[in-house]
Amino acid sequence: MLNVTGDLPGDSWGIFTFLCAALCNLPALPALNCSEELGAGQSIQQTYDLTRYLEHQLRTLAGTYLNYLGPPFNEPDFNPPRLARAERVPSATVDLDLWRGLTDNARLAANYRAYSRLLCYLRVLDGQVGTAELRHRLAHFCASLQGLVLSIGGVMSSLGYPLPAGPAGPPAGPPGAPPAPNDFLKKMDDFWLLKELQTWLWRSAKDFNRLKKKVPPAVVTLRLEARGF
Amino acid sequence: MCWSLKELIPPEPVQKQPVVAWGSAESGGKEGAKIPDLSSEGWSSSQKNPLDVYENLGTPQGLWTGGEMANPVPSACCMVLAAVVVVYAQRHSQPDSHTQFERVGADVTMKCGSMDWDAAVTWTVNGTDIDESHLNGSYLILKNVDLSQSGQYSCYEGSAWHLKYQTTLKVGTPPREPVLMCRSNNYPKGFYCSWHLPTPTYIPNTFNISVIHGTKEMVCEKDAVPKNRCHIRYLQLFSTVKYKVTLTVTNALGKNYTTVTFDEFAIVKPDPPESVVAKPVPNNPRRLEVSWQNPSSWPDPESFPLKFFLRYRPLILDQWQHVELSDGTSHTITDAYAGKEYIIQVAAKDNDIGTWSDWSVAVHATPWTEEPKHLTTEAQITETTSASTSSFMAPPTTKICDKGAVVGSGAVAVCWTAGLVVAAYSVLFI
Repeated sequence: MLNVTGDLPGDSWGIFTFLCAALCNLPALPALNCSEELGAGQSIQQTYDLTRYLEHQLRTLAGTYLNYLGPPFNEPDFNPPRLARAERVPSATVDLDLWRGLTDNARLAANYRAYSRLLCYLRVLDGQVGTAELRHRLAHFCASLQGLVLSIGGVMSSLGYPLPAGPAGPPAGPPGAPPAPNDFLKKMDDFWLLKELQTWLWRSAKDFNRLKKKVPPAVVTLRLEARGF
Repeated sequence: MCWSLKELIPPEPVQKQPVVAWGSAESGGKEGAKIPDLSSEGWSSSQKNPLDVYENLGTPQGLWTGGEMANPVPSACCMVLAAVVVVYAQRHSQPDSHTQFERVGADVTMKCGSMDWDAAVTWTVNGTDIDESHLNGSYLILKNVDLSQSGQYSCYEGSAWHLKYQTTLKVGTPPREPVLMCRSNNYPKGFYCSWHLPTPTYIPNTFNISVIHGTKEMVCEKDAVPKNRCHIRYLQLFSTVKYKVTLTVTNALGKNYTTVTFDEFAIVKPDPPESVVAKPVPNNPRRLEVSWQNPSSWPDPESFPLKFFLRYRPLILDQWQHVELSDGTSHTITDAYAGKEYIIQVAAKDNDIGTWSDWSVAVHATPWTEEPKHLTTEAQITETTSASTSSFMAPPTTKICDKGAVVGSGAVAVCWTAGLVVAAYSVLFI
C-alpha cells in the first residue's frame, strides 16, 4: 500500500516523495492494479445487483404506498399529465443518442445525483406518512437507497472520478421545493416521485450493463491531481 | 374552344325542352349571363367567359349567340355536338353505377331509378331473373338480407328491356371492437402495433391509428407487409409517461375503436433466439451441446443484453426441464438420458425489463452412443460434476460404475477409462 506519512513540506517535495514511494512499490503495483480493476468491476456488478434488488423492493413499497394514497393513484391505468411542479424530481428520460454517447463519468454522475436527490425526497415522505407499516417499509427502502448512493460513489472513486457536488447527505428538506398547496397535489407529487424512482432503477440497470462492459483496463493510478499533496 | 360535354349534359330528370335556345334575347339579358356585347367588345370577351355563356342552358331565356360573331364555325360545331349528345342522353340515358351497403338482417327496398311505382319492370340479380313475389310495384323488397344476397341488381323496363337502374348490393356488418397489440422486439429503437378484427365484416374497412405520448402526438408509419401493422421510433428513452394508442376502424355501416395504454418497458418482448443447434458430444453419452444466436431484430445486445431460458425433454416424456442462463449463447446439457432423442427450445428476454419471447423453433438431438459391443446392458456413467440444472423429475436410476459393480469383465475397464476421461473433461472445462 502506498503510504505517504507526515506533513509534506511543499508541493514539489510532496510529489518527489510520492514518486519515490511509488517506485519503491512498483513491483507490487501490477497486483495492486489488478485488484483495483477487479475492484471496480466487482463494484459495478454489485451496484447493478443493488439496483435490481431495489427495483424489486420498490414494487412492493409502491403498491402499498399507492393503496395508502387511495384512488385514482392506485389504479393501474392512472395516467395523469405531467404537471410543471413535478419537474423538480430528476427525470431519467433522455434522448437515445445522448444516452448512448454519455461518458462513463457522466453516466455515473447522473445516477449519483439523481439518487441523492430522490433519497432526500423520500426521507421527507418518510416523515409524513401515516401508518407504521409504511414508515417501516420506507425506512428500509431509504437505507437500501443510501447504500446504492454510496455504492455508486465507490465505483466513481475506484475509477478515479470526482464525486458530484451537492447534497449527498440528508439535508433538512428537498432543495428549493415549494410545498404542495393542497392534499391532492401533494399526493400527485408522491405519485410522480415513485414513478421517477422506478424509471431510474430501470435506467440504472441499463447504465450499469454498459459500464460493466467498459471497465477500463489496468490503469496505473498515479494520479497527481490536487489532493492536498 | 369546345367545352367539356359534361357541363352541357343536363342533370336528370331529363326535361323535354330545347337545350339551346336560339331565340332573340335582349342584349344584356339576365343578370349573370354575361351575354357578350359583341358589338363593342368583340369575340374575345366571350372567349373569356365561355362557361357563363352556357350557364343558363335549359332556361327559356336562352342566349343570344347570333349576330356579329368573329369566329362562328368552331362555336357552331360545339353547339351541334352538344345537342346531339344531349338528345342521345335523353333517349338512352345510361344508369349510373351504384353501390349500396346493408347490414345483415336488414330489410332492403330498391327503387328502379326514376321509374314510377306502377311501372312494369323486371329485376335481375347477377343476370338471373327475380321472381315477381319479391316486387312491390316496381320496387324490389328484400327482407332479412344475408351474405348470399350480395350481388349486382339490375332493373329493366317493361318488354323493351331497357336497363333503367343498376346497383351492387354488399351485405355486411358494422365493425366489432378491433384487437390491438403493441410490442417492442427491437428495444430501444421503437415498437410496432398490429391489429385485426375479431369477426369479419365482409365489406371494406379503413383503419386509423393514433399514438399519444403525454401531450405529443406521434406518427405510426404503416408497414407495407404485413398490412395491419405500423411502427414507431422512440424519441426518448426511459420515459415515465405512458403511451396511448387508439385504433379506429370504419366501414360503410359503422365504426368502432379500441385503446391500449402502456409504459415503455412493459411491451418489451424480443423475438425468439435464432439458429438453435444441438449436437451430441463425442464420448459423452449424457451430454448435448446447445448453441444459438441473439434474434437478429434485437439491435444492441451489448448495451441491452439478453438472458435465455432453455427447455429440453426426451421425446418419450412430457415434462420439460428448464435452465435459465444469464449470459452466453450456449449451454451443455449434462443429464440427458443416454440414447434418447431430445427436443430442445430456447427463449430470450431482456435482462431487466419486459417479458419472455416465444419459444424458438424446436431442435432434435440424440446424445452420443458408443457402438454396441455386447448385447448385454451398457454401462452408464454418472456425472460427478453438474451444471446448475433445476430438475423437476426424479433423477434417473443409473448403474453406478465403481469397483464393486459386477457387470462384466470388459465393462469394468470401460468404466474406469470413461471415468478418467470424464474427470479430465471436468477439470479442463468446468
